[in-house]
Amino acid sequence: MSEFAFYFIASCLCITAVLSVTVKDVFHSSVWLALSLLFVACLYFYLDAGFLGVIQVLVYVGGIMTLFVFAIMLTSKIGDHSIRQVNHQFWGGLMVAIALFIVLVQVVGGNPLARLHAAGSSTDLKTLGTSLVTTYALPFEYISLLLLAALVGAIVLGKVKK
Amino acid sequence: MVKIAHWIPVFPFLAFWLNMMVGRRLGKGAGYIAVAASALSAVVSFLVFQGLFAGGTSYSLGTWITINGNPITVGIIVDSLTVMMLLVVSVVGTLIQIYSIGYMAEDPRFSRFFAYISLFMACMLGVVLADNLLLLFIFWEGVGLCSCLLVAFWYEKPAAAAAGLKAFITTRVGDTGFLIGILILLASGHSLRFADLGGLPGHDFLMTVAALLIFMGAVGKSAQFPLHVWLPDAMEGPTAVSALIHAATMVAAGVYLVARSYVLFLDHPLALQTVAVIGAISAVMAASIACKMNDIKRVLAYSTMSQLGLMMLGLGVGGYTAGTFHLMTHAFFKALLFLGAGSVIHAVHTQDIREMGGLLNKMKVTGITFIVGSLALAGIMPFAGFWSKDEIFLAISHQGNPVFFFAAALTSFLTAFYMARLIFMTFFGAYRGKHHAHESPAVMTSPLVVLAVFAAGLGFIGSPLCNGVFQHFIEKGDEVVALNYSMVIFSTVLSFSGIALAYAITIRGFALPPAVLSNISWLTRLVENKYYFDELYDFLFVQPFLRLCGAFKRFDALRVDGFVNGVAAFVGALAQVIRKAQTGLVENYLLMQAGGMLLILLTIMGKICRLF
Amino acid sequence: MIPLGHFVILSMFIFCIGVFGVLTQRNAIRFLISVELILNAANINLVAFNKYYGSPDGLGQIFALFVIAIAAAASVVGLVLVIAIYRLRKSVFIDDFNLLKW
Repeated sequence: MSEFAFYFIASCLCITAVLSVTVKDVFHSSVWLALSLLFVACLYFYLDAGFLGVIQVLVYVGGIMTLFVFAIMLTSKIGDHSIRQVNHQFWGGLMVAIALFIVLVQVVGGNPLARLHAAGSSTDLKTLGTSLVTTYALPFEYISLLLLAALVGAIVLGKVKK
Repeated sequence: MVKIAHWIPVFPFLAFWLNMMVGRRLGKGAGYIAVAASALSAVVSFLVFQGLFAGGTSYSLGTWITINGNPITVGIIVDSLTVMMLLVVSVVGTLIQIYSIGYMAEDPRFSRFFAYISLFMACMLGVVLADNLLLLFIFWEGVGLCSCLLVAFWYEKPAAAAAGLKAFITTRVGDTGFLIGILILLASGHSLRFADLGGLPGHDFLMTVAALLIFMGAVGKSAQFPLHVWLPDAMEGPTAVSALIHAATMVAAGVYLVARSYVLFLDHPLALQTVAVIGAISAVMAASIACKMNDIKRVLAYSTMSQLGLMMLGLGVGGYTAGTFHLMTHAFFKALLFLGAGSVIHAVHTQDIREMGGLLNKMKVTGITFIVGSLALAGIMPFAGFWSKDEIFLAISHQGNPVFFFAAALTSFLTAFYMARLIFMTFFGAYRGKHHAHESPAVMTSPLVVLAVFAAGLGFIGSPLCNGVFQHFIEKGDEVVALNYSMVIFSTVLSFSGIALAYAITIRGFALPPAVLSNISWLTRLVENKYYFDELYDFLFVQPFLRLCGAFKRFDALRVDGFVNGVAAFVGALAQVIRKAQTGLVENYLLMQAGGMLLILLTIMGKICRLF
Repeated sequence: MIPLGHFVILSMFIFCIGVFGVLTQRNAIRFLISVELILNAANINLVAFNKYYGSPDGLGQIFALFVIAIAAAASVVGLVLVIAIYRLRKSVFIDDFNLLKW
């Protein structure tokens, strides 16, 4: 049952991801991305990382995807189907990506870790919260600084200069 | 009190910096600073002189570097020779700088002049105080540099600039030999301290070569026979410089060097013999050229060279005290003569003695002091030059080589002749110039008077009348001089006959019969053209070198530049092709990046080549 | 239980799709979409390893959290840049921006 769930989620994820980079319309592309991000969130739930799944839905699907949609709407005419969406190195890029995948699979296949079946103990939310504000308090603060900087930078860059 | 000796060169050096930095704003003060600094040096030199009698000795300020386990010390030598030189340099230097305040008064680079002079004083005092060859060499180069700077002081004149260059390059030939000599001593593991130069172990031939190379440095500095060509040209510099550097002190540094490393020469007779031969050749040759010169400063320049040759000859025949004694007296009377010449030039605005004459009435102080100096140089009885020249004669006769004695006698005769000729043409007869002559200001004449007193009286400290005080001081009671009457009569007759001949020719208009004159015309031409040394060197060294440089220049322009430009053109052409890879399109770069990542992965996996 | 390798291969597949998108998309917004895919691929890996190794303080999840935060910051700035460039040059196509050319 749980195996089936994984393979179902995985195949849906793969399909939506592929569609998000191949469909013609940019708006559709962003919708497929949102779907694939949702499937990633499902994968997190599957891996007993419920908190992360919630964050994924909130931040990505709720926040970032909204931004994407806004950006697409602001740059209006790019949704035009007559405009070519891929550049001239389509086949080169495809081949490199495929070769990369093959090589990476080879790497994984040769590694005994890949056959690890038994899962360890799952992390509960309390442990996560505690370690976030104790052991990893410093990087946590740095991230908040980074977000602040991104916020200020976005305002500065996005301001229409009079 | 001798432990203050190392402060002696410091004062002029500080004056150099001060004049270099703020000299322009000081105006006349620049000169006063320089004079004060060297006067201070003179005072300290006197204190050291006293300290020497109180039993002071050489001392070391510490080790500078160690070469081959051979420590090079920064040592200060304090002995009679050094103290004598210190007094001569600082006293003569101070007097000449006082004179310069008047002589250079209208020069726009007044402060620069005194900066250079102060630097020269510092280096010269350093030469005298250094207790080993390497330290001496450093200051030695310093005085060479100052000489070049001061000869070319009026560098707007092309002749002065060329003369400065010539002085520098010619002495550099000697200095290169000097340096090689030092390196030979170092390489054979010898100490470079003067105190350790006696009885050097090692191959006799090698040590002789080292001694000769060191002498080569002295030859260049003292303008001796093969490397003498720069000194007459150096007269392009200000006359005060000629007096200080090219008469009294720097050129005497060569003689000082030989005297300082005298034990090395004593151990190797061939080297000592060479010193004597070179000295004799220089003395006679320069004296003969001086007889035909019409430029008042050039006469004195050749005279300097001749007298330095005489000192070398004296040292070379074993007359250590004779050479150093003559060095001291010569410093005073030759400085006097140059300053007097400067005063004359200042008054008549020419250097050609054919345009002078009868100046004694117009310039009493200059004239009388100049005559005193000339008599001292010519070796007339009570004056300083007589006693020191007599010493050299005695040393030569003691050694017993008739050729040397003849050379010294001829030099003495010629010296009396050309100095008398100079005096008669400058101060007697009718005035032939156009410019109104006048006496120089007191700031210039008072040093002349002081120097004249020295030129007249200094000889007595080395004369038998004073029981050879100087000789005892220098040699620590080795030689006892007795008044040799036959020698006194001989040299006096020699000098007076020279003066008489000059009187006959210049005042009485005496001339040899034309038949005789035409017979010796080749000789006069030879002398007039300074034995064609400039032409010979030009032909032997300068022209071939210029041709070589031309060949190198062509090689450089064609081959080297061609190669370099070719490489540049190749790279440029290649870049024209390769830069097309910079499309400016991010996706191209990214594709390359991804491809590179792939290659790295494959390499790590060992698919391409096994790195790990 | 699913072997760990399957998660890894899944994440690699997503990663390679992201790389493919980055290499081939002209549109700057789709370019950013591809970047999001790459980041998510990394996150899948982190969470899977956290689960299988049973990290006691949940380091993998915390790291994934950080990655999400950074990705958010990156896409915000990226999108603003796209909009700014669009205002300036009336285009969002990357191959129109070739000022770095020779």
